[in-house]
Amino acid sequence: MLDYNFEWSILWSQTYGPWLLKGIWTTIHLSLLAWVIGSMLGLMVALARLAPYRVVRFAGGAYVQVFRNIPLLVQMFFWYFAVPALLPREMGRWLNHEVPHLGYYCGVVCLGTYTASRVAEVIRSGFLAVPKGVTMAALATGLSPWNTYRHVTIPYALRISMPLLSNEILSCFKNSALTMTIGVMETTGMAGLIDSFTFHGLETTTAASLVYLAITLCVVAAFARVEKKMRIPGLMERSN
Amino acid sequence: MIEIRNIGLWYRKGQKILDNVSATVGEGSTVVICGPSGSGKSSLLRCINGLETFQEGEILVNGISVQNPNTNIYRLRANIGMVFQHFELYPHMTVTENITLAPMHVLKISKTRARQKAMELLERVGIADQAAKYPGQLSGGQQQRVAIARGLAMEPALMLFDEPTSALDPEMIQEVLEVMVDLARDGMTMVVVTHEMGFAREVADEIIFMDHGRIVEKGNVQTFFNHPENERTQQFLARILR
Repeated sequence: MLDYNFEWSILWSQTYGPWLLKGIWTTIHLSLLAWVIGSMLGLMVALARLAPYRVVRFAGGAYVQVFRNIPLLVQMFFWYFAVPALLPREMGRWLNHEVPHLGYYCGVVCLGTYTASRVAEVIRSGFLAVPKGVTMAALATGLSPWNTYRHVTIPYALRISMPLLSNEILSCFKNSALTMTIGVMETTGMAGLIDSFTFHGLETTTAASLVYLAITLCVVAAFARVEKKMRIPGLMERSN
Repeated sequence: MIEIRNIGLWYRKGQKILDNVSATVGEGSTVVICGPSGSGKSSLLRCINGLETFQEGEILVNGISVQNPNTNIYRLRANIGMVFQHFELYPHMTVTENITLAPMHVLKISKTRARQKAMELLERVGIADQAAKYPGQLSGGQQQRVAIARGLAMEPALMLFDEPTSALDPEMIQEVLEVMVDLARDGMTMVVVTHEMGFAREVADEIIFMDHGRIVEKGNVQTFFNHPENERTQQFLARILR
């Protein structure tokens, strides 16, 4: 064992404690914002992939393939470094120099659009699992295709997708750590920053790990409650 | 009421599902369609409310052409109830919600009124005590009676039944047939695809026998059961009436 002097107290010291807390708070609202974008956009992309128009279906499919198949880290760099450069010069300048916390917004958009591509696939599989006969029965009563979607197909498909969606929200929280690469001081970024001031990286990394674990366990517990509430009685009840 | 004129339906591969089918269903009458599986019975039923698109001929429901581009197909469907072999209830809604969905969103009836109506219908099909349950918590026979109530909630002029008892346990067939017999006696216009020959004998005004997408024989109960003309009909009856 190397000669290392553990000093756990730096984690709640007057200087670094608040830094860590700020990082944790950033992780939470960044991930939640990204999840809101991801789930809304994901549902829309899933609907697009099932649309009766070939052009819309193609656009939805292209979206999923692009955002799902490029490494998230590369996408982070793209949003942060390439997008301002690709925009008209004035706009790019404004983004780079006038917008505070540009990295934060890029991180939210990047994580949101990436999550959407994965959520779209999960929801699409839910849609495909809805029996054709149920949709047909709704149409047979005279409901319009949109009302059939709204009241029958979408709620049914979302309930089928629930268990897999919980996986995606967990990934969303964990992937938020990558935003440190574009300068966002969330939990991981703060852990690194404190390390660079104190050379106590083992303590800060351990703290960061435990923070992620605590957050994801809370999410798991919350999702279990939602799932239980949305479970269709007599249809998706677990045997145990 | 329903006029089916020389319908032809085929799928892309050139396989003909319905071939020159014509039939008339008078107001208040009950027509039973039977025949071996794959003979086109269910497809014919789905053509009547526009769930299937046919290539030849014409179907008129109350004088309105089903496939005319100017026809409001949703309004037409609202007037035609349909009951499926596998019930096809909405599993995430309670029994009451299953019944009130279309009246509230198609007929724009208030929720209170729709619920009141649903309870009356559940009373009529004998399962008012199950109103708050979900379809997955009911037996097959009960689910099919909910499906019938769902169809009736739109106050349709016509009911289509697609093998309504084929997926049921033998013990539950009777409770569903009783509801259907009552409906027929009350003067509902009904087209019923079924192999329940007892039901046909009891209420059918006409029986149609189909094979390979064609109508092979049609007639009233007496002639159909006692003097079937076509050889294929005779074979079929000999098998199922044993």
